[in-house]
This record gives sequence, structure tokens and C-alpha cells, in this order.
Amino acid sequence: MILSDYNRPVRLLAAAMILLTPAFVTAQPLVITAPAAPGGGWDQTARAMQRVLAEIEPGVSVQVDNVPGAAGTIGLARFIQSERGNPGALMVTGLVMVSGVVLNGSPVSLAGTTPIARLTAEYEVIVVPRSSRFRSLGELIDAFKQDPGSVSWGGGSAGGTDDLLVRLMAEQIGLPASSVNYIAFAGGGAALAAVLGGQLSAAVSGYAEFAGQIAAGQLRVLAISSASRVSGIDAPTLREAGIALDLSNWRAIVAPPGLSDAEEEALTARITKLATSPKWRSTLEQNGWADDFLTGPPLRQFLLAEQARIEDVLRRLSATNSRAPTTLSVTLTPSSLPNAVVMIFLGALTLTAVTTTRRSLAFDRQGLRMAIAIVTALLVLPIAFVTAGFVASCTMLFAIASTTLRAQSLTRRAIAIDLFVGAAFSIALFLLFTRGLGVMLPGFF
Amino acid sequence: MGDLLAGFAVALTPANLLWGLAGTTLGTAVGVLPGIGPALTVALLLPVTYNLDPTAALIMFAGIYYGAMYGGSTTSILLNTPGESSTIVTAIDGHQMARNGRAGAALATAAIGSFVAGTLATLALSLTAPLMVRLALAFGSAEYFALMVLAFVMVTTMLGESRLKGWLSLLLGLTLGFVGIDGLSGHARFTFGIPYLLDGIDPVIVAIGLFAIGETLWVASRGPAIDELLPVRGSLMMTAEEWARSWRPWLRGTAIGFPLGALPAGGAELPTLMSYAIEKRLSRRPEEFGHGAIEAVAGPEAANNASAAGTLVPLLTLGLPTSATAAVLLAAFQQFGLQPGPLLFEHESALVWGVIASLYIGNAMLLVLNLPLVGLWVKLLSIPRPWLYGGILVVASLGAFSVHRSAGDLLLMAAIGIVGFLLRALDAPVAPVMIGLILGPAAEQHVRRALSISQGDWTVFVTHPLSAALLAISVSIALWGVFARRLAPPG
Repeated sequence: MILSDYNRPVRLLAAAMILLTPAFVTAQPLVITAPAAPGGGWDQTARAMQRVLAEIEPGVSVQVDNVPGAAGTIGLARFIQSERGNPGALMVTGLVMVSGVVLNGSPVSLAGTTPIARLTAEYEVIVVPRSSRFRSLGELIDAFKQDPGSVSWGGGSAGGTDDLLVRLMAEQIGLPASSVNYIAFAGGGAALAAVLGGQLSAAVSGYAEFAGQIAAGQLRVLAISSASRVSGIDAPTLREAGIALDLSNWRAIVAPPGLSDAEEEALTARITKLATSPKWRSTLEQNGWADDFLTGPPLRQFLLAEQARIEDVLRRLSATNSRAPTTLSVTLTPSSLPNAVVMIFLGALTLTAVTTTRRSLAFDRQGLRMAIAIVTALLVLPIAFVTAGFVASCTMLFAIASTTLRAQSLTRRAIAIDLFVGAAFSIALFLLFTRGLGVMLPGFF
Repeated sequence: MGDLLAGFAVALTPANLLWGLAGTTLGTAVGVLPGIGPALTVALLLPVTYNLDPTAALIMFAGIYYGAMYGGSTTSILLNTPGESSTIVTAIDGHQMARNGRAGAALATAAIGSFVAGTLATLALSLTAPLMVRLALAFGSAEYFALMVLAFVMVTTMLGESRLKGWLSLLLGLTLGFVGIDGLSGHARFTFGIPYLLDGIDPVIVAIGLFAIGETLWVASRGPAIDELLPVRGSLMMTAEEWARSWRPWLRGTAIGFPLGALPAGGAELPTLMSYAIEKRLSRRPEEFGHGAIEAVAGPEAANNASAAGTLVPLLTLGLPTSATAAVLLAAFQQFGLQPGPLLFEHESALVWGVIASLYIGNAMLLVLNLPLVGLWVKLLSIPRPWLYGGILVVASLGAFSVHRSAGDLLLMAAIGIVGFLLRALDAPVAPVMIGLILGPAAEQHVRRALSISQGDWTVFVTHPLSAALLAISVSIALWGVFARRLAPPG
């Protein structure tokens, strides 16, 4: 107690100093949006940038804000709408967002942002199990040309880099993208079990996903998707096998729209400084990311070209998919099982409703009123949470719930005690989560 | 064995011991408190453990799961309100024992039985998991689909009073599971043009809504109730006779709990009920059952702990959750980018065996936490009910919000809470919702993957021997469920 009282002014002073510091240095504080949940590639890139910036620009605040959802398009929409003209906002993006925009029918695209720099690349490899009859990419492609359906390709989610590579490859050798028998898994790692078990002809994913099994000799690499050979990976490029294609899972950094030329240049200069720093080089090495730095007009051209080829292949794909199936065989579309389940669910619900009405549910009248009061408080909560902040809204929720449950001895004094306990509990939780566990919560009071 | 020893090296580091202690303590607390269970607690902790070392976080979560199995018995015995669904059976005779002044003996047989069963079942887990892993490597999409069908059939046939209501819960979970972008084709399903729904319905929010909000509304709707908390009376030392009457039920409970927990039958309710029935049949004093028979506490308490270890077998080796808590634990693994399954034992051997080793240590910790310190846990029960549920609502809102830092999730939580309340009002089991939500999309993906690989040939499900066998078992269980009901005398 005494110690914390003594510390308080010191801490306030420290907080004030942190808040005031940016005013004395020239660099703008940054908020980097990672349009994905913590842990993924975009989040790792944002956090790696945060660490390197902390070293090369000491004293400048750099925060990472995760806005996950829908292949990054939810983060993209929020970034373009609410950060317009803000020179202190950056967002990590990549190849998957380009296809996500098309697949999710997103109203905004990367064209609505100010590209700053392309930073990293990860190359794709095509692997087969050791026991596979395919010794080279040529043999696999021959079998694929002969009967496209007989070769099953596994990799990450539909529309992701792995899927795109196989489809672009098919178009490159003169087959329609829709002829690919692509089997999507939650990620390259999940496809690994299926390819090792011999259920897939080949698997496609980032090199890092398979590195362990490749080193152990369980998987054979047939090709890598880079433009030229990569040192340390014993695999020919697609071009060497006669397929004029290269594709990488690139990651880039963009700024919001509406920046002045000077602001754009300042950001580019800072990111260039970051990308050429020794600390960034060691970060690339640690993560197995290839350096793929590019800025200015060449970057704009690159993004336009990527957008064009990905949109094209996905459009052709969806055009052929929506055509009526020509065979009579019973095939499952993405909606057949869900629709069947909903039908049966509604049936079961009706049956339950019919059999239940006769039996009285025997609710306590007062009890039902209590439940309704709590539901009302819960429905107001989302609005209160954002407008009034965590502590105020949760104190309200606590007080309403406990005074309702108290029911019989409802005195003014009891309500006051409930409010007090609720406030104390909420404040304690707020401090524990924001200070102790680093979770951001809205507002204080 | 070498793997397990390496696991102990991981689990015995001071930091991991502390996380294990934190987990078992928290688990006992939530087990004691009515209204909060292990599924909800793990769900609430997920958002704050993003930055933690995965091994440490999973050791803590496993401790919570085991701890809740211990703590639940205290509430059942002293308050006659089961803290967990797994201790409903314990309440029958445990509370009677407390009324007869033998609360101490009831608590002791529950805690020691839990320790014995927990340790033996963890040993069984260490021995069977590597065998299952070898079997699981032969599993393709057809086999996984058949296994999930078996899980659906068992969950609906075994849980609750009525199969219709079991199916209702399961179908609700399946429907919710289909919301969002289809992983195989990238098509949006049941999203109604709302971007919020594109990523699907988060199982963590559903767990919080169903268990915390649904339970609070249910308690409120039953009107003001006054519980009678019995004091801990009688010595915590069991008499020689009580030992003699306890040890066989402990072993039988373990033998029932472990395999039933490993089967996809929805957790600890079934094994505890079966243990009770078997003890009553074998007892020389069946008339004591219902009036404070110590066997009726010892058996089910051993069974529920053994079933917790059993549940971990399919969860770790196949990625198949068989109870609501296991479903949330699966979400925990996925949060760290880990996919439970045969390859997990290969890639993350230290992590998996570290968690398994921590269970042995956790069991020993729990015995110490629960027997001498039982008086401390009883104090938790003196928190006034209105404050307890007020606090649960606040913590639930905090947890739901911090998953994505989205206020929309709070609305979803409230909506799912109302659904959870309605299910309870209909007397429908809640666990199938979680199982359906998590396994539904997975089962669908496996059907479509199996068909893509076979190029549209539906016979793969019956020509693969494993998948054919699993489907045959599912069909016979479903038929048995229908006919057993028909043949049973009314009432």
C-alpha cells in the first residue's frame, strides 16, 4: 500500500513523459494495422517492423492494431475509411488480400491505398511423398495434362497463394483453371498429413511449411515458384520446367489514401531506412523471409500487374464454376450440405415446438421478469461498452443483474452496495487486463 | 517412455510448474463455483494468452480441466447444487452424507478417488496415445468423416432425456458452424451480406454465451432461491471401513470413465451415471444408495476424473473433441497455430508430452489443494448469489469483447445466451451445440475432400474398411437408440 502510494506520482510523471516525448522528436508516431488475428504472417510482419523501428527510431511510439477478418478485407475497409489522410497510419498487406478482395466481393481494394513498399516474399514449393511415382515436375505435369482430375493437389484455403499457383500453372500449360482438382486444407501443415498418407498426388505451400519433412527425406521437392533458384533449396524453378510463371507470397506496407506527396515521401524514406537496417536483415533470416524490397513507380506497376492476373484467373474460375454441372452424378456444392442441415434443423425445431406447447414450461412469473431485465441489460451493453467505456457499462450490468436477482430485499441501500461492489469489481478487472495482461479495453469512465 | 520423461523435463521447469499450479487452483475455484465451468474458463482466458508460450498456456488449460473435475464435488456435497454437470451424480449421495454429518469423509473419498483415477487414467493416456497416433496416420478424409458421424450419433443418443432434443442442439450447432466463408471453395454461406459474419461464428463466443449467459438467465428465471450450505463436519480422515468401501469403486470408476471419455459421447455425464448404476447393482447395501452411500460418491468421482483423461486421447491424437471443454481446448490449440492430430506428436513432441506430464503433477497438486484446503474453497460458496452471477456476466462480457475487440461479439454473446436459456428451458442438452459447431464444418470438408480425391465416387465411405466399420457402428447405435426406447416400458 505504502509502496504503491509512493510510486503513484512517479508513474504519473513517467506516463506524462511518454505522452510528451513525440512532441520533441521529428518522427511521426505510427499505428501499423495488421489486418489479421495475432500470430499469422501479417501480424508477424507488423510486429517485426515494430521491433526494428523501436531500435532505429528510439522514443517513437509504434503500435500494432489487429483488425482480423475475411482475408484482411475487413481491416482494409476500416483502414481506407477511417485513416484517410492520416500520415501516421500504415497497414500490412499481401497477395492473399488481392484475392480476398475478389472472393469476398469487397467494395474497396488495394487501389484505394497509397502503396509505400514491398518488403518480403515467401516462395511456394510443389512436393510429393518419397514413395510417389512422380520424379520430376515434367512427369507430374504430363499426368495432369492427360487426366486433370486424376491429379489431386492439396494446399491452404481456397483463393490463397497455394490455390492460385496451381490454377495459374494450369492456365499456363493450356488447361482451364477450373480443371484443377484442388483440395483445400486449413493450411499447408494440415495438407501435410494427407500428402504423407498418400491421399494426395502433390501438395503446394510455402517452403517453411514443409522444410522439416523435406530435410528428413519424407518429401521430394519438384519445383519452387521463384523466378530464379533460391540458395539452400535444392529445387528447379517452374521456368526451368518450361512453365513461364513465378509467384510469391509477397507482403507489402501501404498508407491510407489522401496523403500529400511530402507525407508519402517521408513514410517511404522511413520504411527504406527500416528495410536496409542490419536488424531487419537478421529478422528476415530468422523468419525465413526473402528480401523483396521495392518502392515507388515500379511497386505501383507490380501491384497493378498482380491485381490483374489474380482477378483474371479468379473471374474465369467463378464463371466456369457457376455453370450447371454437365454430368448426372450427384455432386456436392458448397451449399448442398448446409441447406440440408438447416432444413432438418427447422424440422426438428417445429417438432419440438409442437410437442412442447402442450406441456407447460412452468416458469416462475417473477423469474421470467428477472431474466428479461438481464437480457435487456445485455442488449444495451454493446452500445454502452463503446460509448461509456468498460468500467461504466460493466458496473451497470453488474448492478442490474445483482439487484434483479436479489429481488426480495430491494432497498435503496442494497442497490447502492451492489453498485459499489460492481464498480470495484469492474475497476479491478479493468486494471488487471489493461495493465497486467496488455488487453486494450475501451475508455475508463 | 523416453518421450514422457522428456515431457517431465518440460513440465518440471519452475515457470511451467507455476502455470500448472495456476491452472489447477483456478480449475478448483471454477469447479466449486456454480455457473462457471472449465469450458467457459478456458474460453475466457484464450484472448489473454495470445502472447504466452503455447506449452505454458496449454499446461494451465489442462490444469483447469482436471481441477474443475475435483472442485465440482465440493459444491455437490455441501450445497447439493452441482458446480459442474459431471458432478450431478455425486450430489445425490454426497449431500446425504453431509446431512448425516459425514461431509469430511465424502470430501475425502471424492478427492482421493479423483487422485487415484486421475493418475491411473493419465497413465492409460500415456500408453494409448502413441498407439492411437499410429492408427490415426492411416486416417484419410473418409475415415475422419465416418468418425465424426459416430460422434454426432453418440452425442445425441447418449446425452439428455430425449433424442429429438439432442438432435435439435446438434443441428443448431451444425447450422451455426456453416456460417462464414467455406474453406474449400471460398464461397460465403449464410452471411446475408454482413461482413461481420464472413469469418464465421467464433466457438469461444458461443461457449461464453451458452454457458455463462444461458446459465445466468436460467438461474434468474427460476426465481429467488435459497440454498442451504452445510458446514464441513466429520473428520477428513476416512475410517478403515470407508477405505474398504471406497477403493473398489475408485478402480471401477476409472475403468468406466477412461474408455467412455475417449469415446465421442459428450463428456463426463454418461460415465458418472454408469458408475453410479454399477455400484448400486454390485453393492451389498443397495438400500443405502440415495441416503448417503460412500460408494456412490467414490465411483462417480473417480469416473469423472478418468473421463477427463480419456477425452484427451481423441483430442490430441485425432483432433476430435468429445466434450464441450475439449471443443474449447481444440480452439486453444488452434489459437497457437497447432493442429492436434498424429503430426502434433511428431512436430511438437515436447509440448504434447509436457502437457501430459503436467497432468501427473497437476493431480498431485490437486490432492493437496483439495483435501487440507477444503475449508478455503467452501468460503467461495459464501459469495452472495446475486454478486456471483453479476460477476459472471461482467467477466463473460470482458472475455467475449477481448476475442476480437469487437462490440458486435457482445451482441452475438447475448443472442447465443438467449438460445442457451431456451435450450435449458426445453430440457435440451447444451454440449451438442459446441460439438456440432466445431465438428460440423470439419465433417463437411472431409466429405467433400474425400469425394474430390475419389473424383465423385461415393463408395469410398464403404470400401475403406475403417470408415465402413465406423459408419456401421454409428448406424447400429442409432438403431439401438430407437429400438431400446420402443422396447422400454412406458414411464
